Amino acid sequence: MTETFDALREILRDNFGIEPERLHAETPLEALQIDSLAVVEVLFAVEERFGISIPSAPAASEHPLRTFGDIVAYVDRLITEQRTA
Amino acid sequence: MRGQRIAVTGLGVVCPLGNDIAALEASLRAGRSAIVRLPQHVAADAPVAGGASSTSSAAMRSHVGAPVVFDGALHFAPPRLRMLDRVSQIALVSAAQAVRASGIDLAAVASARRGVFVGTGMGGAQSADDGYRKLYAEDSERVAPYSVLMAMNNAAASWIGLEYGCAGPNLTFSTACSSSAVAIGEAALRIAMGDVDVAIAGGAEACLNRGTLVAWDALKTLAPEDPDDPGRSCKPFAKDRSGLVLGEGAAFVVLESMAGARARGANVLAELAGYGLATDATHITRPSVDGQAAALRLALDAAGLAPQAIGYVNAHGTATQANDGVETAAIRHVFGAQASQLPVSSTKSMHGHLLGAAGALEFVITVLALRSSLLPPTTNLRVPDPECDLDYVCEGARAVAPFEAAMTSSFAFGGTNAVLVCRRA
Repeated sequence: MTETFDALREILRDNFGIEPERLHAETPLEALQIDSLAVVEVLFAVEERFGISIPSAPAASEHPLRTFGDIVAYVDRLITEQRTA
Repeated sequence: MRGQRIAVTGLGVVCPLGNDIAALEASLRAGRSAIVRLPQHVAADAPVAGGASSTSSAAMRSHVGAPVVFDGALHFAPPRLRMLDRVSQIALVSAAQAVRASGIDLAAVASARRGVFVGTGMGGAQSADDGYRKLYAEDSERVAPYSVLMAMNNAAASWIGLEYGCAGPNLTFSTACSSSAVAIGEAALRIAMGDVDVAIAGGAEACLNRGTLVAWDALKTLAPEDPDDPGRSCKPFAKDRSGLVLGEGAAFVVLESMAGARARGANVLAELAGYGLATDATHITRPSVDGQAAALRLALDAAGLAPQAIGYVNAHGTATQANDGVETAAIRHVFGAQASQLPVSSTKSMHGHLLGAAGALEFVITVLALRSSLLPPTTNLRVPDPECDLDYVCEGARAVAPFEAAMTSSFAFGGTNAVLVCRRA
């Protein structure tokens, strides 16, 4: 979890200039002012970084992604699902 | 022009001869060439000139071109930079110069009365090239997420519109080599008709990537590198002219109604007095004397000027076999006996052919010539062509007595001919 957390902080810093110190598990995504267009880029960077593929439409049973912590957990889940194949 | 008279109140350039107006003027005065060999596009395993092919690394194909010295990272933060093809980057910086120079307070102009009019031939060509290389050369579908937004031809115009809150018409014109002459002319018409009060108009092209160079080379219309000096490769109107040299760059102007400009105390640089538009409709590439002459005449008529009022013509002058002779004949048709005394120069000899941005850069250069009474030269004209027998200002930049009006011509593949006339304000 920590590795993913740190890596995502780096991605947001490198791509959006968001200082890592601002990112905690509870940080709401809307506070980061990443609009829906920019999310596309974040997902692409995440895919590249972790070697995973993010589905276009997350499964209906998934929790909505509201906080930074939600994203970290989601990415971890995909890594587990996709890397252990 | 019919309707309101049009004022040019701001100029901005990011071009091979300099990244601002002062640098551009200094280059023109000195007759400096910005044409160089492009080292990054040297390809191994290419045929040697003359037809024999070789797979040794010594058989290299290079191109000459006129690049802009411009690093987007110095102007845009990474998140923004990633969304901007080079063409949009140079367009934004050049437009910003023009807006700043105009001194206009855009907040005083209703946003729906601000228009953007941009010409480009190839749009985000580098982004398209990058995407295709990823797909076909690397066999990967992981193209940059913003590829579409960077490659689309209207990107530069849209980003300028966003920057200046322009809710009026935002249009991109693509008529090959006359694109930005058209953009400037169409912007003027919109102001003249009363649709907009301020227009940011110009052109941008950033096409010096491998795919584009190879495609143009296949058309057998690019000049080979001059054996003595790459800077001399573009030879408009010369007997030994050998084709065009591609360049990249952006040029923008701010246009307003003359009444509006005077009312706010603007420094009016020139009047955009005439815009002539005519199409060859004869061949997809070969120019027509009649088509060019028609555009020249229409521009003069629109300006309400007799040919004798023109003191300088900035020619299309691409240095192709086809254009230069035809253009000379068209000028003779329209100017008659006066043609022999009319200074005509092709500044493409120095800055190359900026394709979609050519019209705008050459309009800016023409306005500068009108204001300074210093005519930029046609360089590299060492071997005269009997069929091109006008005064091409080939001895170097020429100081002349102040003159009333100047003209700039852009004639294009596809045949859209656009001519602009500017007049002393």
